[in-house]
Amino acid sequence: MIKLNNISKSFGRQQVLKDIDLTVEKGDVVVILGPSGSGKTTLLRCVNYLEKPSDGEMIIGDYHLNCKYASKKQIHLLRQKSAMVFQQYNLFKHKTAIENVMEGLLIVKKLSKEEAIVRSVALLEKVGLGNKLEAYPSQLSGGQQQRVGIARALAMEPEVILFDEPTSALDPELVGEVLSVIRKIAKEGITMIVVTHEMSFARDVANHIVFMDGGVIVEEGTPVELFNHPKEERTKQFLKRITPELNYNI
Amino acid sequence: MGEPFDFTYILTFIPKLLSTLQITLFIVAGSLLIGMIVGFLIALPRLYQIPIVQTISKVYISFFRGTPVLIQLFLFYYGLPELLKLAHLDVSKTPVLAFVILTYGLHTGAFMSELIRASVMAVDRGQVEAAYAVGMTGYQAFVRIIMPQALAIAIPVFSNLVIALLKDTSLAFTLGVMEMTGKSQTLGTLTQHFIESYIALALIYLVVSFALEKFLKWLENGLLQHEQQDTSVRSTRLTLRKNISYRRIVTEMSTGKGGVDL
Ligand SMILES: Nc1ncnc2c1ncn2[C@@H]1O[C@H](COP(=O)(O)OP(=O)(O)OP(=O)(O)O)[C@@H](O)[C@H]1O
Ligand SMILES: [Mg+2]
Repeated sequence: MIKLNNISKSFGRQQVLKDIDLTVEKGDVVVILGPSGSGKTTLLRCVNYLEKPSDGEMIIGDYHLNCKYASKKQIHLLRQKSAMVFQQYNLFKHKTAIENVMEGLLIVKKLSKEEAIVRSVALLEKVGLGNKLEAYPSQLSGGQQQRVGIARALAMEPEVILFDEPTSALDPELVGEVLSVIRKIAKEGITMIVVTHEMSFARDVANHIVFMDGGVIVEEGTPVELFNHPKEERTKQFLKRITPELNYNI
Repeated sequence: MGEPFDFTYILTFIPKLLSTLQITLFIVAGSLLIGMIVGFLIALPRLYQIPIVQTISKVYISFFRGTPVLIQLFLFYYGLPELLKLAHLDVSKTPVLAFVILTYGLHTGAFMSELIRASVMAVDRGQVEAAYAVGMTGYQAFVRIIMPQALAIAIPVFSNLVIALLKDTSLAFTLGVMEMTGKSQTLGTLTQHFIESYIALALIYLVVSFALEKFLKWLENGLLQHEQQDTSVRSTRLTLRKNISYRRIVTEMSTGKGGVDL
């Protein structure tokens, strides 16, 4: 379970996140929606401590952290509870696909090389890249790189995987292959928080939708509640803008 | 100058000069070793923006980049012993070569630190974040992810530095060190065939520079293995990207031999 209490984040004087409370149960697939600049990326980065929250409390699994007084060591431990899939993939450029997946297993989890190889091969096969083990990122398409990124995140067996617009840097014809991998691992019960603009994906795969605007959670609920019966005016406007066809469906 | 030009002297000078090549290479190797250690130590405070120490680094770099090596050699050779005398240390028995290597080492350190800093900064920020995201510590991320990539970026500029250093060491003769240039002076004086000795000297420098360059190129290809392509489309894209990061560094380093930036 992941629990965020009163998470706040400011860049200088600009407050980007304001008292965010969010609970994610084990196995949940949470999709975060919201207009550009609403703080979605910042929220994910705070969970992974790539940004340091200015205030608040975080519980991931059995690990509890008060953000204001977090020590380096605590942050390091907390980080291992989550994994991140980046918009720009961020694969280690000087390592092959399999080395990308093995890196964390060897260095952080301290597995033996044999064990790391066995696990990495299995994960790359799962994301459909069993034939690209020795390819460098520069030799892979965007969709393939992102699937390696997903395998790398899975390898760490985190409590939660965070996806920040995992398909928005991809050519349209490559979006499908990545979404179907995410779908597949969602079915296996991996807990995930996904920022995306893929509405059909959000509808089908998520069991909880969070709508953010201006650094606050405006509204949250099941996909049916949020898409079909939004309560807040801001949510309605956002949905109208992003999915015009919704107006005909209802 | 002296005797009429005689081609055969060039041939007889070359082996004589080559006998001192090891001293030149020794100065280069020693200076590089000191330069890399010093460069790393000077670069760190600037990379991590540690106050005060960072300013000291900057002053150091400005001094060594902004003054001629010749003056630096004189300052260290004649000035340092005087300074140490005040601390009751007698270095009058220290060989000249030690002063020479120290000076070139500190000189190279200034350029090396700028190179290290520029290369580390040229590594995509996303790489560090990805390393953190899989749970690495800052040290692990630096050693496993940033360093190898920075190294690959740094090598082309590093090659230029080494070759510039090789040529700069010729100034050591002014302090009376019998390296190649010093030797060629002596040969010239003895035989009155100066031009021939300089031609022989130039030829040797040329060949050694060329060999060094080839060797470093070979090293670079090994380190840039991950950017080798299998399709032509991607290769143009990547060469482009590589050139961009290379250009960025070259621009930063373009003040190269001569600039002062306080
Ligand atoms: N490192 C930073 N320094 C200063 N301001 C930042 C920084 N990162 C984000 N911001 C600001 O925080 C706000 C929220 O940004 P964030 O990237 O979280 O939005 P987002 O919801 O992910 O938007 P998008 O949909 O465009 O990705 C924006 O106003 C942005 O300018
Ligand atoms: Mg974003």
